[in-house]
Amino acid sequence: MSFLGGVDTSNGVVLDPECSLIGESVRGRILCFPFGIGSTVGSYAMYQLKLNKVAPRAIINRSAEAIVATGAIMSEIPMVDNVDTSLIKSGDRVVVDAANGTVEIRDVTERHVVTSILRNRGRVLILKRSDKVGSYRGSWAGVSGFVEKDEGDEEAARREIVEETRFTNARLSRRVPARGFRHNDSVWTVHPFLFDVSSRDVSIDWEHEAYAWILPGELKDYTTVPGLGAVMNDLLSRTSP
Amino acid sequence: MHLTKDEEHVLAGEEGAARQKAMELLVSLGDIYGAERLIPVKSAQVSGASFKTIGDAGIQWLEDMSEGTRASVPSMVNPLGLDMRRWRSMGVSPDFHGKQARIVAAYRSMGLLPVYSCTPYLAGYRPRRGQHLAWAESSATVFANSYIGARTNREGGPSALASAIIGKSPEYGLHLDENRLPKVEVNLPSVPEGLVPLAGYTAGKVAGNRIPLISGQAFAEDEHKSFGAAMAATGAVSMYVSKGTVGHVRSRGIDRSMIEERVTISSRDLRRCAEELSGDDEWDLVAIGCPHSSTRELAHMARKLKNRRPRRNCDVWFCTSRMVHSRCPQHIATLRRFGKVLCDTCMVVAPIEEMYARTATNSGKAMVYLPTLGRQTASFRTTDQLLEAISR
Repeated sequence: MSFLGGVDTSNGVVLDPECSLIGESVRGRILCFPFGIGSTVGSYAMYQLKLNKVAPRAIINRSAEAIVATGAIMSEIPMVDNVDTSLIKSGDRVVVDAANGTVEIRDVTERHVVTSILRNRGRVLILKRSDKVGSYRGSWAGVSGFVEKDEGDEEAARREIVEETRFTNARLSRRVPARGFRHNDSVWTVHPFLFDVSSRDVSIDWEHEAYAWILPGELKDYTTVPGLGAVMNDLLSRTSP
Repeated sequence: MHLTKDEEHVLAGEEGAARQKAMELLVSLGDIYGAERLIPVKSAQVSGASFKTIGDAGIQWLEDMSEGTRASVPSMVNPLGLDMRRWRSMGVSPDFHGKQARIVAAYRSMGLLPVYSCTPYLAGYRPRRGQHLAWAESSATVFANSYIGARTNREGGPSALASAIIGKSPEYGLHLDENRLPKVEVNLPSVPEGLVPLAGYTAGKVAGNRIPLISGQAFAEDEHKSFGAAMAATGAVSMYVSKGTVGHVRSRGIDRSMIEERVTISSRDLRRCAEELSGDDEWDLVAIGCPHSSTRELAHMARKLKNRRPRRNCDVWFCTSRMVHSRCPQHIATLRRFGKVLCDTCMVVAPIEEMYARTATNSGKAMVYLPTLGRQTASFRTTDQLLEAISR
């Protein structure tokens, strides 16, 4: 978002039609957005918000840039960056500790999930979730499930593979850092794995009603659980993320 | 970032609230850009000087910062919204002047020099090769980095003021050798007379945020000034490398190892650009001097106009720095027959929208800002075309 022209400095109302908060006031709220854009004069616009007593109480950014950081210091607005802003939704209760650089989302539970992509000769396995599962019925997913208490994430990934596909000799090829996804009052922290398997003989259990071996580029033709494309990209991209 | 004991004291507020805030600004910008430390700068140049650009919030911020603080290195200021002596005849309102006067007073009380120009390097404050600076004006930054071989990032107004107060800048970006290598070659085999600003205008779009290597036709110093200003206005880059300048890292030859793309801008491309930017034939104002005119440029124009008479078909502004103005009274006298010779200000930061609607200029940089910040119908003409148009 841009503060110069993007926010009415007299009342703090967002004017920028590109911004999803259009029409809402930033006054007294914790303002969360990926990053700032626009002219350096934007820093003065933030200071004007402060003078008019309509500034945000705190700012959360995915990546801080000079204009907003400068404006925040001029205006003494606490600011935290390097936060995955997609995990925070309008209306959340959030605790910002700018001194320690931490953000806590209240009323949200974090659940650790594993998602494994099984690969065989250039094709990857996706599974269609049955109507007996608790969430995302009918959506396509990797081999996934919750990490149980006292269980490591790789251990959980291997357990789910055996349960859901009956592959017992999957070979771990790659793992990439976990990604968070927001779903209602939960944050799913997804631990992605890539395994190679030696055949395409899959035996699915009650959690799924169909499976398919697809080329990675074909994923866009399927309705998937949130973030499956991003996870697959991370796992299959040539360079390490 | 690693801070010295003294810097830690300032950050802890032991030397007052304004110095603390200045240090906070430098440290957090350093953190954002991955700087490891602060380095001393020889001078600062602060943008955000016109009431038009910084508004009431800017006045308040400068007045708050000025309590008990002084600049610790020579520090210049960008152009104001008016000529301090001729603001009435410019047509600026007393209300605007009142606000502008508070900004000037705040800068003066902090010990900043009364040099209100985008060309401090022509006004007695020319840096030397290799010196580290904290300059904010985009055209001055690109000139200092590219033509002079000094080292500065393009600072924002507040961060340049913080550097003026602390005397240091975080060491990142163009302060470091590895970030001063060209990544795209822009070849200018032949630039038609008067179209150097549009070469910069076009090169900036090609370069984006990459340092360009400019090859082809060689430029004179004043051409570098107008080329770089336009390039920094259309591109997000504050430096270029070319033969005859000293900004590049190696003393012998230019390092081409990072060049990833080559682009040629032909004289035909530049004529087409001039055509596209030609706008209207009816103007309220002819505005020359963005960046501020040099002594040589004023002399060239005075020579061209000397034996001609004014047409008085529109207003004319020749903008320059007060220092250059004081150096050539005879040229100034000639130019004043044709229009106003203004100091301390320019067509980009003056409240031009309150006075005019249609402006013609010879500046590639002004062609970016006149339609946006100045709300003008802008028309590009070469210097000689403008001189023809205002005289007979």
